[in-house]
Amino acid sequence: MGPFIIARHHLLRIVRSPGLILILLAVPVTLAGLEYAAFGPTVASGKLPPIKVLILDNDRTFASAAVPQVFTAGGPLADMFETSPVADRTAARALFQKNEASALVIVPKGFQDALLAGGRADVQFAPNPVQTFSPAIAAAVLDMTVMIGNGIYGQAAAPLQRINAARAANRPLTADDAADIARGFFEAARRLNGLMAVSNLTVTSVRPAAETAGPGADAKQFFAFVFPGLMIFGALFVSQSLALRLLRDRARGVERRLAMTSLSPAAQIAGSFLFMVAGLIVVLVLLLAVGAIVFRIQLKNPPALLALAVGFAIFAAALHLAIIAIARNERSASFMGSGIVMLLSLLGGTFFPAEEMPAFLRNVAFVMPNGAAQQGFVDVLAHGRTLAETSGRILTTWGWALVMMAMAVAGVRRRAEHV
Amino acid sequence: MSVLIEVRGLRKRFGDIEALAGVSFHVAAGEIYGLLGPNGAGKSTTISILCGLIKPDGGEARLNGIDVVQHPVDARRVLGVVPQEVALYSDLSARENLAFFGRLYRLRGAALQRRIDRVLEQVNLADRAKEPIERYSGGMLRRLNIAVGILHEPSIVLLDEPTVGLDPQSRAAILDLVHAIAANAAVVYTTHYLDEAERLCDRLAIMDHGSLLAEGSLAELRQAAGEREIIALRGEFRAEAVPAAIGAAADIQLIKGDSDELLFSVTSAQRELSTLMGIAATFGTVREVAIKQPSLENLFIKLTGRGLRE
Repeated sequence: MGPFIIARHHLLRIVRSPGLILILLAVPVTLAGLEYAAFGPTVASGKLPPIKVLILDNDRTFASAAVPQVFTAGGPLADMFETSPVADRTAARALFQKNEASALVIVPKGFQDALLAGGRADVQFAPNPVQTFSPAIAAAVLDMTVMIGNGIYGQAAAPLQRINAARAANRPLTADDAADIARGFFEAARRLNGLMAVSNLTVTSVRPAAETAGPGADAKQFFAFVFPGLMIFGALFVSQSLALRLLRDRARGVERRLAMTSLSPAAQIAGSFLFMVAGLIVVLVLLLAVGAIVFRIQLKNPPALLALAVGFAIFAAALHLAIIAIARNERSASFMGSGIVMLLSLLGGTFFPAEEMPAFLRNVAFVMPNGAAQQGFVDVLAHGRTLAETSGRILTTWGWALVMMAMAVAGVRRRAEHV
Repeated sequence: MSVLIEVRGLRKRFGDIEALAGVSFHVAAGEIYGLLGPNGAGKSTTISILCGLIKPDGGEARLNGIDVVQHPVDARRVLGVVPQEVALYSDLSARENLAFFGRLYRLRGAALQRRIDRVLEQVNLADRAKEPIERYSGGMLRRLNIAVGILHEPSIVLLDEPTVGLDPQSRAAILDLVHAIAANAAVVYTTHYLDEAERLCDRLAIMDHGSLLAEGSLAELRQAAGEREIIALRGEFRAEAVPAAIGAAADIQLIKGDSDELLFSVTSAQRELSTLMGIAATFGTVREVAIKQPSLENLFIKLTGRGLRE
């Protein structure tokens, strides 16, 4: 009963004065909130935020009106871009400065005439200098479309030449001209249609044999990738805060007094450990609930989530218990704890997705305790993987947890001998 | 009266430092036993061994017949400890602190509440029991510190300097409380205050450098002091020459001979003062003279060669 009495006692104390814990708990939620604010509420619906492209149409012709459709015509790009007309460059610059657009496409006067004349029809592209990725994506899409457009343009060269010849001679089109031009466009369209009809070459997205339905399995579920790292980061700092509370009790002599009661040393250690693990599990569950409610992350496979949460809670609790066992005072414990948490976060992929790291660092990240747990959460929340499919990450997390627990117990016992 | 605390030949070393060098004593039920000694004398080490916090290198200690090394948890069940520091949860009230520690001693429900009510009355904190103790005065905290130590009605209570830093009124209240505790328990009381020990303790032990230098009732110790007075001369001296100079005077004993202080034990200070002043003036300069009447402090100085607070 001793360990439960101690754990309950500390947890009730936290419930009575939860200030610092709430602040720490707010850190990952705030960071995620900032991302939410940055990317907009679209993200919460399971979609990435669209890249906004401004169109300055100085030609105002049938051909220039088709330019925005490069980005919004349909297919896979339909949800990725959003276009908006602007009156002039000044208006575009103002939107750039507010970071409300990623690029400006300028269609110059005479664009349609140049097209019909078979001359060089130039479209200007201006990226927003504040942004990096979104303008590059818009530029790539525009380049690709121009390449395809040139191919289509080549198919329709014959009828266009007939139109231009009539315009150059300043004579009205005869019925034969109209028939030839129509036939030319028909042939071009037929060839183009034939080109599009070739569908032997396809791309299929292959996922593991897990459930693929629902936003949890949707790769576009942005926060299912981002939130686990923030959650793990937050849990590590909450763990540090809980351990520092125990350290303050030690400094006041309460730990020594507990050692003078009829409680065995093992029960005393178990009580502190139980308090921290229980507190961290509550924190992780709360953060998952915030993720589900605010960021629409679907909590799939609860057994896998629970196994990861408990394993990581044990690791984090043991880590900080070991630190306060070594530390001489609160200052040195804070220094050591913060240093280790930052190092783990850097190596484990909290600040930079491990999936994007070079192979060596990625392997390092996935064997780190926080990296394994974080990737485990991503596997479950973003990819919808099952308990069995996540077992590697779970075992890594638990392995670290048990090793760190043994170290913490040894450290605490050693300190108890010097009380 | 039955003996509740038995300590025999207790030894403990920390590296090169001999913290305890064969300490033995016993305390019976209803007895208050005072442990006097300067810092580093070995009092805290003795207390820590009795609590089972550290293991002795040799000797044995029994609480109510239970070996503290073999069965530390069982021994601690009969033990109540009041540490020197106020070791309590400052964010909780007195009642909550007591409830927590009571549960650790397997007290539950109505029985626990009755004990808490009784002990709060005993330490005169019943009317402020629900306040967070961070609002308490130093004296109130000390009284609560004691209350936590006696809540489970232990048959043995160790009080480690429980009045440090308190005003005379608060000290008096605590001494009364300790008297009351001793009605049902064997009490070991460590202190720096000789007046407290003289007023409170049935028996006393003077400790220094890990050894008990003297032990007995106040009367026995006064007798051991030989009803002699202490003459303290302070100044600058060539102390090495002093023993030879007083060699012929059989009634003068040199207790301490340092370059800045000479301590002499004499039967009559009035008679010997001029002789000693002459000797001291021969071998140095006297700046201050103090004469101490026969007392426990004199015995302490005589045995340890230093004041209790040094």
